[in-house]
Amino acid sequence: MISPAAAYRNLLLFVLPALAVYLVFAVLPLATSIVMSFFQTNGASGDVFVGFANYERLFTHPTISARFWNALLNNMQYFAIHLIVEVPMGLLLAALLTSGKLARSEGIYRTLLFIPATLSVVIVGFVWRLIINPLWGLVGFPLLGTESTALTTISLMSVWQYFGIPMVFLYSALLAVPNELVEAANIDGAGGWTTFWKIKFPLIAPQFGLIAILTYIWTFNGFDLVFALNGSAPGPNYSTDILGTYFYRTFFGSSGQLADLDLGSAVATVIFLTVLLVTAAYFWLIQRRLKSYSV
Amino acid sequence: MRSIRVSIPLAATLGVMFSGGFGAAFADPVTITLNSWRTEDIAVWQDTVLPAFEAKHPDIKVEFAPINTNEYNAAVQSQIEGGAGGDLITCRPFDVNREWIKRGYFESLEGLPGLANFDKTSRAAWSGADDKAYCLPVAAVLAGFYYNADIFKELGLKVPTTSAEFIDVLQAIKKDGRYTPLAYGAAESWQLAYNGLYSIGPAYWKGEEGRLGLIDGKKKLTDPEFVDAIAAFAAWKPFLPAGQESLNYADMTQLFTLGKAAILPDGSWDINQVTSTGLNVGVFGPPVPKAGDQRYLQEMPDMGIGINAKSTHKEAAKTFLDWIAGPEFQELYVNAAPGFFAMSNKPVTYKNKLAQDFADLKKGAQLTPRLALDRLSAGTPPLDDETWRLLQVMFTKSDVTPQQVAAELQAGLASWYGPQKK
Repeated sequence: MISPAAAYRNLLLFVLPALAVYLVFAVLPLATSIVMSFFQTNGASGDVFVGFANYERLFTHPTISARFWNALLNNMQYFAIHLIVEVPMGLLLAALLTSGKLARSEGIYRTLLFIPATLSVVIVGFVWRLIINPLWGLVGFPLLGTESTALTTISLMSVWQYFGIPMVFLYSALLAVPNELVEAANIDGAGGWTTFWKIKFPLIAPQFGLIAILTYIWTFNGFDLVFALNGSAPGPNYSTDILGTYFYRTFFGSSGQLADLDLGSAVATVIFLTVLLVTAAYFWLIQRRLKSYSV
Repeated sequence: MRSIRVSIPLAATLGVMFSGGFGAAFADPVTITLNSWRTEDIAVWQDTVLPAFEAKHPDIKVEFAPINTNEYNAAVQSQIEGGAGGDLITCRPFDVNREWIKRGYFESLEGLPGLANFDKTSRAAWSGADDKAYCLPVAAVLAGFYYNADIFKELGLKVPTTSAEFIDVLQAIKKDGRYTPLAYGAAESWQLAYNGLYSIGPAYWKGEEGRLGLIDGKKKLTDPEFVDAIAAFAAWKPFLPAGQESLNYADMTQLFTLGKAAILPDGSWDINQVTSTGLNVGVFGPPVPKAGDQRYLQEMPDMGIGINAKSTHKEAAKTFLDWIAGPEFQELYVNAAPGFFAMSNKPVTYKNKLAQDFADLKKGAQLTPRLALDRLSAGTPPLDDETWRLLQVMFTKSDVTPQQVAAELQAGLASWYGPQKK
């Protein structure tokens, strides 16, 4: 019999390697970038503590703040499109996969539908850019070159890539619905439609909260697809600029623009807080109250 | 505070420190490292340039250590401020470098004999506020118009020299209907500025006269010469392929190399790509407003090399730079990397025919760098970024006039740039 103290010690020992990697490569850079956002590190006089000056510049400078709010609004739209399109699509496909109508081809469809989520964004961006290219593609209209359609177009490309994720979540939740419940409903005379909405749907409902919050985290940390398609000053007229690309442009500079490490750190901290606060609120207010079904 | 810096380009810093450290400790010859953003040039340096140098100077070994282009500025800044970095740093032109000079990154190059091979204009992109040289000019890029010589012959067209002739040529190609007149589009805003406005504009704003006029506040972007230049650029719109708003840089090059378009406004760095399909390609310079006007050509200083002020091998670095300044390196480099042009006042022969044609455009033309990169982009909003954005707006919306573009550019610049504030 192993004592509780020894058990904890062993536990710690097993967790240590992962914890060390996590501390060095996630927590430390995060902490240093937060610290850095309160300093001016590029002056001739070395590092100077400047309090909230970097944040003040971010929120009050006419151009810097205008671009920031623009990126934030775009990011919200990017998130909303993901949520509105991806979740119903995932639900529909998961329902079809578990309906039993596909019989033996269920596994094939499940795999096929999930494949886009495993592709590299660079490939997704490249292929879609060719498909909707007015010169060689299928669509004559410049979807990516028009301010009013560019962001929606990119969002939908990303939806196309990642709808497999909510689908898999809902699929496994649907599989976990106990058969007795469905059979009992059938005996009571419920058809497929009623069974789905009255029995299965309420049981998988908690998944939607989780999917929404994960989508929120992914889209607000989004960067790669926009960058792959439109670079770090995503046009036209910054209409596809999101927080990730805004940060990149600020922090790394470009051939003609200095890298502003301090302001960049402030941007990174704001993004971090945006994601953290909403996520924490979600877990605090909603996730805690959910109860799982038990027979 | 050092720990803050270390976390950023950790790998790059360590790489440089190790390569520099081991070389110095164990090998007899001095090893110096050269940082660059040109990751694609590894072979050029390692196989062609550096062996030629080391053959002459067996006591010095040079290590080429490129950093990912997009992260170059951030990496160099954090390395040097953390006390590391290569002995030799490749310098960005103008404002970025001027700030780096101000922060004391570089050793002054005054007194270096090789400096005499470059005149003041060539050195301007890399001199400090004190007018002293801090980086040695290495290479420049040019902008012009590639044209498909076979299409020109088939349609009986002559290379245009004036703006009116240029439009006539485009009209004739459009009327014929088989080819797209201009392989050009608005999806990538940088090239609207660099290969479009900054290429044809100098003929209107008289090159350096207009550029320096903006810098010292004597001219405004709303002055007629700048508005006319923007209008001349907007006149291209009817001759672009359908859906040009979504056309990116690769699409344009492809449209041209497939022989479907007659003219490609582009930079010299694309020489290898435009001839890759074996087309018969020629090049012409930006047209002048009226016959007999002075010709102008955009020559953009692209890279210089400076010595890290914290380097421990400054003498070796100086020997290397002196060699870089000489004709041997200049010929080696521009011929190994076609599309780049030597900036020294000694004649250089280009083995690539198109490169030689491009270099010939310099004869009789006044040279001028890209309009907005010197001083005018050192604040927020940077004039260069605003130019990209507003030209893209002009090309993707039908109701934006050149006057509006000029007015907004001027307002943005005047919001922070001292000499333009009044």
